[in-house]
Amino acid sequence: MTPDIAKPAPIADEDTQPFWDACKAHELRVQQCSACGRFRWPPRGFCPACFSWEHTWARLSGRGTVHSFSVVHHVVNPAFKAEAPYVVALISLEGTEGHVKLASNVVGCPWEEVRVGMEVEVVFQELNEDITLPKFRPVAG
Amino acid sequence: MPEQAIKDKTAIVGIGWTEFSRDSGVTPMTLAARASLAAIDDAGLRPRDVDGVVTWYHRRVDTVSAQELSNAMELDCRYEMFANEGGHWMCAGVMTAAAVVHAGICKNLLMYVARNGYSEGRKRRASERRLPTGTDQFSDPYGLQQAAAIFGLPVSTHMARYGTSTLDFAHLAVTQRKNASLNKKALMRQPITVEDHQSSRWISWPYRLLDCCQQNDGGVAIVITTAERARDLRHAPVYIMSGVGGDAPAELTWEGKGEQIAPALYEGAGISPKDVSLAELYDPFTGVCLLHMEDFGLAPKGEGGAWVREGRNSLDGDVPVNTHGGLHSEAHFIGLNHVIEAVQQLRPEGVVDDLCEGPHTYDRATCRQVRNPKIALLCGESGGSAMLLRSASL
Repeated sequence: MTPDIAKPAPIADEDTQPFWDACKAHELRVQQCSACGRFRWPPRGFCPACFSWEHTWARLSGRGTVHSFSVVHHVVNPAFKAEAPYVVALISLEGTEGHVKLASNVVGCPWEEVRVGMEVEVVFQELNEDITLPKFRPVAG
Repeated sequence: MPEQAIKDKTAIVGIGWTEFSRDSGVTPMTLAARASLAAIDDAGLRPRDVDGVVTWYHRRVDTVSAQELSNAMELDCRYEMFANEGGHWMCAGVMTAAAVVHAGICKNLLMYVARNGYSEGRKRRASERRLPTGTDQFSDPYGLQQAAAIFGLPVSTHMARYGTSTLDFAHLAVTQRKNASLNKKALMRQPITVEDHQSSRWISWPYRLLDCCQQNDGGVAIVITTAERARDLRHAPVYIMSGVGGDAPAELTWEGKGEQIAPALYEGAGISPKDVSLAELYDPFTGVCLLHMEDFGLAPKGEGGAWVREGRNSLDGDVPVNTHGGLHSEAHFIGLNHVIEAVQQLRPEGVVDDLCEGPHTYDRATCRQVRNPKIALLCGESGGSAMLLRSASL
């Protein structure tokens, strides 16, 4: 793979690094407010409900449902050409009371079979030595 | 909620545009100046009368700044703004300009969008890769970068919940193209059929090629002043009744907020959705436009698909929508061309660039003028801003 067609790798910052560190350890973790219990996304220093700065990184089950999706056929970034058509989706993550919808890919099934409400589970895919991406596949059965 | 203090206190008095093309062969400065001078002349003003300039762009600077244009024209400027916003800011930008003249900071404020979106934009997009920082780190690595994919997401939930289909989108596309076929400046004037739409290739499900807006070169401009000054100018004023801005689409879900801001918009003008004569709604993709029709109360929630299938958005329908063809078929100027179309429709003489020769005939083979419109609804992308305009005769 030549550098000019490399897939875009996330550039983490102080707020988001713990999320990517967890992914590398094959754990899906999001912030939960220590004061009011609200889950939030994307990672930020403060709670959007009560504005507390205290939080924990709660480990999730990795299951969720497809909240919405698109299927990319016409690829603009050539790095994704080999995968088209591919599914991009928002996954509403179990255990977050509807507050975390993660953008990702649905993999492991034909694009024609993807539906809103479909149950999925996380599968971790290594992008490079620093970054592992959480992707989602249909729950078996 | 009370009516807004700015209601009927400001007006759009000048409109101008360049030729729309895919290869302008001139700089954005030339496009900005041509459109601006046309709008200033249309208002019956001279360039020196302009003392404020507002423009905007989306993420990447592809135009000349308000400061650059003001300097180039040697204006005696009292206010300028060059905002990195998107299509959602369309009406918020106009309201910013209106507020500045209403406050007495400027007398006559110029607003423009000028870009070589096709000839230069394509080359630049091919050579540039944005860095996946900030919230982009949670979308770009999954190949979720292009607008067609992003703005399919909220529409897919509507399709699942209400049974809205790509066939509904086809009817919307056909209607807007029909309107554009009656618009001399529109770039896409060749009529299309539902079958043409359904056989066009997928760009990003649920969108086919004929669901998507276009890229183009050109410039558009408007002039805004106070209602008091407007009465002495060349054309009958088109008054700004109310407006609201917001922060839609929502972060990392790209869902709209039109439904949340609509009450403040209508109450701010002291009217209800049933008073709207026509609407110019941001339409990057057909499905997004359809959601706007529902969010602002033109069609009942969940029934937008049936509403467009029945042609209630056509020139002689309940509420004509995107009478110029929209971003879909006229051109893409981040929505400022929607404002120009609303102003044309609401002036006593009506639109000047349909196929009518002489007075408007309302024959839909040549005429795109809506019959006796009084109030126009406009909204930016995802209901991120909205505005109500009215004719001087209301």
